[in-house]
Amino acid sequence: MNMEPTIDPKKRYAAGVMEYAKMGYWDPDYVPKDTDVIALFRITPQDGVDEIEAAAAVAGESSTATWTVVWTDRLTACDLYRAKAYRVDPVPGTPGQFFSWIAYDLDLFEGGSIANLTASIIGNVFGFKALKALRLEDMRIPVAYLKTFQGPATGIVVERERLDKFGRPLLGATTKPKLGLSGRNYGRVVYEALKGGLDFVKDDENINSQPFMHWRDRFLYVMEAVNKAQAATGEVKGHYLNVTAGTMEDMYERAEFAKELGSCIIMIDLVIGYTAIQSMAKWARRNDMILHLHRAGNSTYSRQKNHGMNFRVICKWMRMAGVDHIHAGTVVGKLEGDPLMIAGFYDTLREGHTPQNLEHGLFFDQDWASLNKVMPVASGGIHAGQMHQLIHYLGEDVVLQFGGGTIGHPQGIQAGATANRVALEAMIQARNEGRDYLAEGPDILAAAARWCGPLRAAIDTWKDVSFNYASTDTADFVPTPTAV
Amino acid sequence: MRITQGTFSFLPDLTDDQIIAQVQYCLDHGWAVNIEYTDDPHPRNTYWEMWGIPMFDVPDAAGVMLALADCRKAHGGTNYIRMSAFDNTYGWESLRLSFITDRPASEPGFALDRQERGGRQIGYTTRAYSAMKPEGERYS
Amino acid sequence: MDAIDLKRDFAASGLDAELAQLDRELVGLAPVKQRIREIAALLLVDRARQKLGLSTEPPTLHMSFTGNPGTGKTTVAMRMAGILHKLGYVRRGHLVSVTRDDLVGQYIGHTAPKTKDVLKKAMGGVLFIDEAYYLYRPENERDYGQEAIEILLQVMENQRDDLVVILAGYADRMDTFFSSNPGFRSRIAHHIDFPDYADGELVEIADTILARMGYRLSGPAQIALGDYVARRRTQPHFANARSIRNALDRARLRQAVRLFDRHEGTVSADQLSTIEAEDIRASRVFAAADTATPA
Repeated sequence: MNMEPTIDPKKRYAAGVMEYAKMGYWDPDYVPKDTDVIALFRITPQDGVDEIEAAAAVAGESSTATWTVVWTDRLTACDLYRAKAYRVDPVPGTPGQFFSWIAYDLDLFEGGSIANLTASIIGNVFGFKALKALRLEDMRIPVAYLKTFQGPATGIVVERERLDKFGRPLLGATTKPKLGLSGRNYGRVVYEALKGGLDFVKDDENINSQPFMHWRDRFLYVMEAVNKAQAATGEVKGHYLNVTAGTMEDMYERAEFAKELGSCIIMIDLVIGYTAIQSMAKWARRNDMILHLHRAGNSTYSRQKNHGMNFRVICKWMRMAGVDHIHAGTVVGKLEGDPLMIAGFYDTLREGHTPQNLEHGLFFDQDWASLNKVMPVASGGIHAGQMHQLIHYLGEDVVLQFGGGTIGHPQGIQAGATANRVALEAMIQARNEGRDYLAEGPDILAAAARWCGPLRAAIDTWKDVSFNYASTDTADFVPTPTAV
Repeated sequence: MRITQGTFSFLPDLTDDQIIAQVQYCLDHGWAVNIEYTDDPHPRNTYWEMWGIPMFDVPDAAGVMLALADCRKAHGGTNYIRMSAFDNTYGWESLRLSFITDRPASEPGFALDRQERGGRQIGYTTRAYSAMKPEGERYS
Repeated sequence: MDAIDLKRDFAASGLDAELAQLDRELVGLAPVKQRIREIAALLLVDRARQKLGLSTEPPTLHMSFTGNPGTGKTTVAMRMAGILHKLGYVRRGHLVSVTRDDLVGQYIGHTAPKTKDVLKKAMGGVLFIDEAYYLYRPENERDYGQEAIEILLQVMENQRDDLVVILAGYADRMDTFFSSNPGFRSRIAHHIDFPDYADGELVEIADTILARMGYRLSGPAQIALGDYVARRRTQPHFANARSIRNALDRARLRQAVRLFDRHEGTVSADQLSTIEAEDIRASRVFAAADTATPA
């Protein structure tokens, strides 16, 4: 189908309804500027809707258009403000779906505001009737726009310097059970896990201030545990105190209290919203606090392949918004995660520049403009026996969180933590010595288990556990292996 | 009490061959290894004393081990000694690996002092028992 | 295992490439190349003997290279480092080249750190100490060189797996040095003497150097260079290949001036790359010989 890219003003602004493509939202000759925001959508048009008209409609509805022609366009530099769909390709191997590239001029967005960016890009357009489904797959954020964002309050390098921990993944665990522990009992779990060898313990996403444990009580007992564990080991320790609350005022109050108590890290949930996240990131930068983000809620829109948005876009927005930690998948654990897709998320969070890599789902070259690096967190259904796979897939700059794998240890929480730490250090040592640690992983762990009883017990308990389901969010460009 | 700072503190003390392997890993990545020692192992005592400057342009671990031998002769048994590897890659420009190679004969650990304040708050101070003696006499 | 295929061992070691590179880089020097081959063969056999358990002591590999300046000692040392690396006698195969100033400090307490700093960088490779006899100054009994010597001797003895040391310099001075420092003499396993280049070899070296820079000698220039070499050899500070290299650098300067001064119109590629006899005969070496004044 050939659309006319040049516009005759007389016809264009005649009152009435007109195809979006003809209104100027489709321009196959458009060459995106370095300063343009580019979005890559997966569109599934309704039967009978042309894919180019559908792409143009997405461009229109996510920028200046409404359903009918308005003469007031002509009071503006509307050619500039119109988003332009400039390329539409069929999705390989998936009839009825199309990738569409849409470029947005930088002036469409307020600097430093994820809320404003997202109000355009994912504002109205996802409910548009001419589409069966729509998914935001990736975005290219121009350096000019990135420079209007603070970025991660602390970043991987400074976090490591503050913690004095280098050369290995950090270890964490989420306190379990998630709900119901009193403050006093809760702190016990924290102390045992930190003393046993973990670097961090974490509040779960839904631990805020409930009848069984109000937040001040939790904070006070947890900090007793953290300080006691520091003195017992000589190491810097931390606990992500979740400051998520119903209002910003409550969150600030909790964050201030965490600071007063000497905590090095606080935590928020994704569900507090982009603006609240940015506010907390600024607070964290001002107060030398590491900011952990739990991605609570993301799977409601990131998991299905045809609708919603890909998690890599959340990764980009959260790096801009300024969090230091984000849960980004485990490959081998209980939550969704194809290895290649996860590699794309991790690169997006940790690299200074990510080149286009379609196998990893990265559609654009992305220069991160010196924004700090975000530490990915791998959490959910992982245990010490998978240490070689975790290091192989996730690398060294990651927090490995073994909740059940620590607290569920048959010899107790300290033993569980020790098992994880010994497994980790033994594997890093072997890797650095040049051994083929992925292939020899089980032998390396078995050798360490000969002198480390807790590790032996951990391996015996969980040796057969794996979560081997097909991933739902996979690359479109190559066949992908299933997680091990 | 065994302090567990550094990358390999949960493993048995590294043998010289194991230290050489780790140092060579650093050198092969182009990182400069620095030897540092202290008799005050407080978790936030960032600046241990440097045994010389970081060893730039040393391609083989035996060169670093030469320096470690000298440092051990001067401070072994009475100090902690660690190796730290600096990476000057743009965007990193910090440590990449840091591990303890030597410990004093005994490690007395830390006291945790609590200052009770209003509203159930407690101020915490960690003090190394060793650091209650003057520098140089702490582990002798 | 009770037999070893030496030929296959040799092929697998990659020594070929090192020896071929030595041939390419250095004109002539037949006796030196022969010594290198002998040492390489000895080390290969030694390695085979170790594999079969016939010898257990790691061999002493420290060497001395004696000869006048410009006779290829540094170049051979680099190849030697490569050979030792390929045979597994040094881990990295790099060469660190130093003189007294790099090892010995000017104040008390400076020498040990300086020497150790050099040793740290040389570990796993070859340490080449040029004009090694300057380390020893018997006329000054508090000379700091003695401290460097003691540290070197200790490492040469105790860390034979980690470092090979090559001491280099004029033959006569090295003899004196060794007789007053028996510690060094006893730790040196191989002595290689580097003879001066013959006149014809030096002209050949000149051709090689020029070819690499995209120049050539005209027929008369070739003869002029032969004369030059014969005269230069009799004058002070003659440094074999190094003197030739310097002479060619000056000849290129003269050629440039000549082209610039005498050519009004265009110059051809051929003119731009040809050194003529006059570019060489303008040297002070000829004037000195004719009038019997120093160069």
